[in-house]
Amino acid sequence: MQDEERTKKFNDLSVKYSQFYKGKIMVLPKVPINTLSDFSYWYTPGVAEVSRRIAADSDLSFDLTGRWNSVAILTDGTRVLGIGNVGPEAAMPVMEGKSMIFNYLGGVNAVPIPIRTKTKEEFITVAKALEPSFGGYNLEDIESPKCFYILRELQKELTIPAWHDDQLGTACIILAGIINSLKLSGKHIEDARVVFIGSGAANIAASNLLISAGFKPGNLILVDSKGILEPERDDIDSLMINNPWKYELSLSTNAERKKGGIPEALAGADIVVSASKSDPNTIKPQWIKRMNDYPVIFALANPVPEIWPHVAKEGGAKIVATGRGDFPNQINNSLVFPGVFRGVLDARAKGVNFSIMVKASYEIANFVSELDDDNIVPKMTDTDLYPQVASAVAKATSDEGLARRNGSKKMFYDIARDIIEENRRIFRKLMDDKLIRNLPGEEQ
Amino acid sequence: MKEDKKMKIEVRDARSEDLKPFLGLIERMKRLNGEFDPLYTIDEDKRSDAEKFYGNCIGDTQNYIVIVAEFNKNIVGVLKAEIRKRVYYNPDREARIIDLYIMPEFRRKKVGAALLDYFYLKLNKIGISIVTAEFPALNLIALNFYKKIGYRNIGSIFGTTIDGKKGR
Repeated sequence: MQDEERTKKFNDLSVKYSQFYKGKIMVLPKVPINTLSDFSYWYTPGVAEVSRRIAADSDLSFDLTGRWNSVAILTDGTRVLGIGNVGPEAAMPVMEGKSMIFNYLGGVNAVPIPIRTKTKEEFITVAKALEPSFGGYNLEDIESPKCFYILRELQKELTIPAWHDDQLGTACIILAGIINSLKLSGKHIEDARVVFIGSGAANIAASNLLISAGFKPGNLILVDSKGILEPERDDIDSLMINNPWKYELSLSTNAERKKGGIPEALAGADIVVSASKSDPNTIKPQWIKRMNDYPVIFALANPVPEIWPHVAKEGGAKIVATGRGDFPNQINNSLVFPGVFRGVLDARAKGVNFSIMVKASYEIANFVSELDDDNIVPKMTDTDLYPQVASAVAKATSDEGLARRNGSKKMFYDIARDIIEENRRIFRKLMDDKLIRNLPGEEQ
Repeated sequence: MKEDKKMKIEVRDARSEDLKPFLGLIERMKRLNGEFDPLYTIDEDKRSDAEKFYGNCIGDTQNYIVIVAEFNKNIVGVLKAEIRKRVYYNPDREARIIDLYIMPEFRRKKVGAALLDYFYLKLNKIGISIVTAEFPALNLIALNFYKKIGYRNIGSIFGTTIDGKKGR
């Protein structure tokens, strides 16, 4: 089936199933209710005592309510998938899907909350107001550079972790893939030259994460639609005003002070990470020949990568990764966020930072047991990945002094594994008993 | 330009041969002003006018002070001020900074302070004790910079376009 035909089929099925199920998630009680008198402790009058105790110590909300396992998926719907600024109502199907993945892979109760806000300040006000209900925030599909500002402010102001998956989740899996690519090429972090094509949320975060992981800022080069970032570009002051994150990288990266576009940037590079436009001619195979030996290409645009994997290989690439599941090496946020959130929730974290993220990336990279050019990252079906990542994240959170609950990696692994497995048992039971109905057309 | 310790900045009066690189920095600054207010949008067709004007400023040391900061023979910072009459007031002259720009890579490295030190020395020599600075009202970076070095707001310039407007 051709790509377009396949996409149309999935679009049609998605609408059909959405009409049938009318949403992908629901809220179910998780306590036994046998008689009406049970409400006397689950609800009034008994519940008042629980409230009084939390009023005396608000951190008890993590122990006496479901806050410990609750995450808000917050979006303003300004940059939804590849379809752009469609608004909060239209963002809901995507957020529901995210919530489903959170629950299925990480055992996390993630509540989709698309909000109607006009400014970044308004968004922050809403997020701060909702904090008492949640153990963490996953920001989703917010336009750049607004997303940088919101994330920075929330990380500063909140006492729960704030995560923007388009930035941080993508950055983590990119770093994991790069770590394993370097193992295969025999190169080292401190010498590796990495070119980022596209300077949006994902690549800016990935650049900063790589720097935290020990890559030399001067060995990184970022390219955007106007060319290589460097301090003498004509629009540099505009960046300073409108996108200080990109501005800072313009000053700190590209020690050689290269100018030009993608071909100039690729000369002498070891790794290319492209999160740019969905056009298979963005990276030309002849440019790969300008790279150092063992070229590594991450062409992450969806649905069509910036170069088709077979074209990249013909051009000399040794390792090619894309955002798609139908090619080897899928660079996919879903390998990151369920485990990361399981970990920060289990540690009752007050925040999350780059140091914790680097640990998560190494855990993901080291999870790959049979490493080769077509297997640099785990697959979503590697179910043990999620408690492994969770335990690394929870332990790192504890080491960083950001945990309300401390413990060993083993302790956190057991906790995460039990939660995820129990959650899956419940889900499987609902499926087996047909309480979750079969897909329409597959009833029997 | 990574080795700050070796960075040796020379500050001096602008010369006529500096005009081309000097204008490059001025154009960057004017473009930056345009980021704050559309009334400051630059017209790239007016480069020859700008060349004439700033060439005159560099030569007219009675009415203008034009200073450059140089690193490795490249101009990395500029300051241009006008000497203005203050009719009725005492003192009767002030120096107004109209253009102050430093290349991004050289910011936060005391190049601005070096330019101002040199500028103040020149003012002392010609007996001017009041310095003012002009910049777009929404340029918070400039606002914070001048506040940080001890300037205060002593007046405001309001502006509008008059297309179709009445005077009341």
